[in-house]
Amino acid sequence: MSAVTYLEAISQAIREEMRRDEAVFLLGEDVGTYGGAFKVSAGFLEEFGPERVIDTPMAEGAIIGSAVGAALMGMRPIAEMQFIDFITCGFDQIINMASKMYWRVGMPVPMVIRGPSGGGTKGGPFHSVSPEAWFFHTPGIKVVVPATAYDAKGLLKAAVRDNNPVLYLEHKLLYRMPELREELPGEDYTVPLGKAIVRREGQDMTILTYGAMVHQSLKAAQILEEEDDLAVEVVDLRSLTPLDRETILESVKHTNKVLIVHEDTLTGGIGAELAAILAEDLFEYLDGPISRVAAPDVAFPYAPPLEAAFLPNSEKIVAAARRLAAY
Amino acid sequence: MATPVKMPRLGESVAEGTVGSWLKKEGDLVEKDESLAEIITDKINAELPSPVAGRLTKILVQADETVPVGADIALIEENVEATATPTPATSAPAASAPAPASTPVGAASQQSAPSAPARPQGTTAMGNGRGAASSSVRSAPEQQGEEERQRISPLARRLAREHGIDLNDIAGTGLGGRVRRDDIMAYLANRQAAQVAQPAQPVQVPAAAATAPAPVTTAQPAPTATPSVVPRATEFVTIAQTPDEEVVEPSRMRLAIAEHMVRSKRTSPHATTVVEVDMTNIAKWLEKHKQEFKQREGYSISYVPFVMKAVCEGIRKFPLINSTWTPDNKIIIKKRINLGIAVATDVGLVVPTIYDADQYTLAGLAKQVNAVAQRARANKLTVQDMQNSTFVVNNPGTFGTIISVPIINQPHAGILSMDAVVKRPVVIEDDAIAVRSMMYLCLSFDHRILDGAQAGGFLQAVRNKLQSYGREIDVY
Repeated sequence: MSAVTYLEAISQAIREEMRRDEAVFLLGEDVGTYGGAFKVSAGFLEEFGPERVIDTPMAEGAIIGSAVGAALMGMRPIAEMQFIDFITCGFDQIINMASKMYWRVGMPVPMVIRGPSGGGTKGGPFHSVSPEAWFFHTPGIKVVVPATAYDAKGLLKAAVRDNNPVLYLEHKLLYRMPELREELPGEDYTVPLGKAIVRREGQDMTILTYGAMVHQSLKAAQILEEEDDLAVEVVDLRSLTPLDRETILESVKHTNKVLIVHEDTLTGGIGAELAAILAEDLFEYLDGPISRVAAPDVAFPYAPPLEAAFLPNSEKIVAAARRLAAY
Repeated sequence: MATPVKMPRLGESVAEGTVGSWLKKEGDLVEKDESLAEIITDKINAELPSPVAGRLTKILVQADETVPVGADIALIEENVEATATPTPATSAPAASAPAPASTPVGAASQQSAPSAPARPQGTTAMGNGRGAASSSVRSAPEQQGEEERQRISPLARRLAREHGIDLNDIAGTGLGGRVRRDDIMAYLANRQAAQVAQPAQPVQVPAAAATAPAPVTTAQPAPTATPSVVPRATEFVTIAQTPDEEVVEPSRMRLAIAEHMVRSKRTSPHATTVVEVDMTNIAKWLEKHKQEFKQREGYSISYVPFVMKAVCEGIRKFPLINSTWTPDNKIIIKKRINLGIAVATDVGLVVPTIYDADQYTLAGLAKQVNAVAQRARANKLTVQDMQNSTFVVNNPGTFGTIISVPIINQPHAGILSMDAVVKRPVVIEDDAIAVRSMMYLCLSFDHRILDGAQAGGFLQAVRNKLQSYGREIDVY
């Protein structure tokens, strides 16, 4: 068993779920013959045939709409967005159909929408977004964001087996990142939805984060320990919906200061909701202002220097953490 | 022409005051009534409102220095730009209210007065010399933090509350001197270390403890077991402890009460007379109307306003009751009847003043009593509240006592204690025995000013007034 990348972990998860359950199938643009834009489904067409690995037209509304219909009929579709930015074309199917179906007619919609999100690859405004906040706001759809190969596989398997629509946000920057390679268990495993994990323990402050920012935050925590003698706890949320309030509150109760880090833009982001929860539930445990590091409220820039300036990174996190620590 | 700012008299018996901290620094423009400094006296802490608008040109008394009441502590230059500067209503707190009344008094005033520019950090640091150091640099103009409100994180505030820590004792190490978790933890660790280091000291009961017995009912001892934040002025500090005894340093307030009581007994030859008053009609009226009165008016009515009203009548008949024996052997008869009313609070006994008590109806007096009692308990008494009383009505009856011999609140001529109203078999007209609601009124008086005849006459007048009420009482 060799160490696998984040991307290979995703690929393994889909393959194993398709093998395990006949109802699971994959549909999306170029997922078949081409093996997917990022080669997540390379070899799938050969193994599972065209009925279970379906190349679709470039029409996200149709892809997601078909998946909703199939799910209602008892299938467990995995709908791939070639780039998650294009999920907006299927927005109506997600918001008005998938997320509300169970409340409207009592029929579950077991489906996964997955795709590469996030920036840092010089992809410009249409190939870089972090769309989680739009769906985080919507009841009836789960949102998960894996940060490691182990979680990528375990969360995707759990998502496929969940009876609700699940938005599974991969981060394209992590796909082939060598330092994320890891040995995965030989046996079947899942990572439960709605469970955060403490990636690094500390008592001086908590960083709440997810996705690619977990790694930037861990890097920042290391710097803060070495240069500032600060013990920073890093909590990887993993699931945004449902949110693991217990782990979040417990950590902040312990550290009394919190920095929220996300790659998505600031206003109305996940951090806003986390801040509201903490202010409501833990006001008298706070030793400093709930602080956020996020992208500025502008469209995702194309020019590399602008992209670098736009994206949060470990330096920005360190700077914010120092301000918070001094508060 | 510079206007001097004087050390105010915060309470009748207070002869001196300490500048706790300057809230303004030299060169600052101040509005009239804007808080200039925090003044600490034996009895209360108060913010000192500026008497005029202008520029604070000179601080004459530095923080932590103590000077007599009336001493100049700063100079304010009027006729500077400040007076020309338009004064927005918002920046002159309660411009229409009488100056001192707008300034809350009390140990917790800096927390309860959001509009007041607040105290700087490190007023008194934990006994490590930092307090002294900070006071010497405090007036330096570059001390920007001076103008800031005390900064405390929500967590630190909660921890301080839970551990009964006075935040003023803590020098914050956060940005701008903010008190935060680590400061509280360090303080607790220090405090614990100090307690561990001290237990071996020999137990010596200070002689003062024997000479300052807790006076009779005029001073209810401050409850020692107060779970919430105990302001510094009222904190008992344990000095030494053996299995059998504990030596505590009395709070500043306790010391002040002790000093005042000893001085009063030494100054005035006390004599006490007692009358018994039939309160039956008032008791019945209260029983019947109390609830409804409170619902209607929003404040409650008790025996107290009845007694106050009667006292005012008594004073009208015997003005000498409302007077003062001066050190140069004159008697000053006060024309205004400002009744002090003793209020027991969590932090000790205070005696706020109800001005011109004789001008109020019973309901009006009830309202005033409720208002000052509430201010007292919320630590929001004003300088005005604590001054100018001419006679005190004390009500230990609420504690169930039936006869109390009070000590005069100097420089008054007398003090009246009303004790509990209790049902007793009483011989009434025609030698019948009836169950009546009875109360003893005890008057302690300064025998230099009054003799038994006047004192007795006054008490008779008070009793007659109280017994004059019929079944129907118009309290308005």
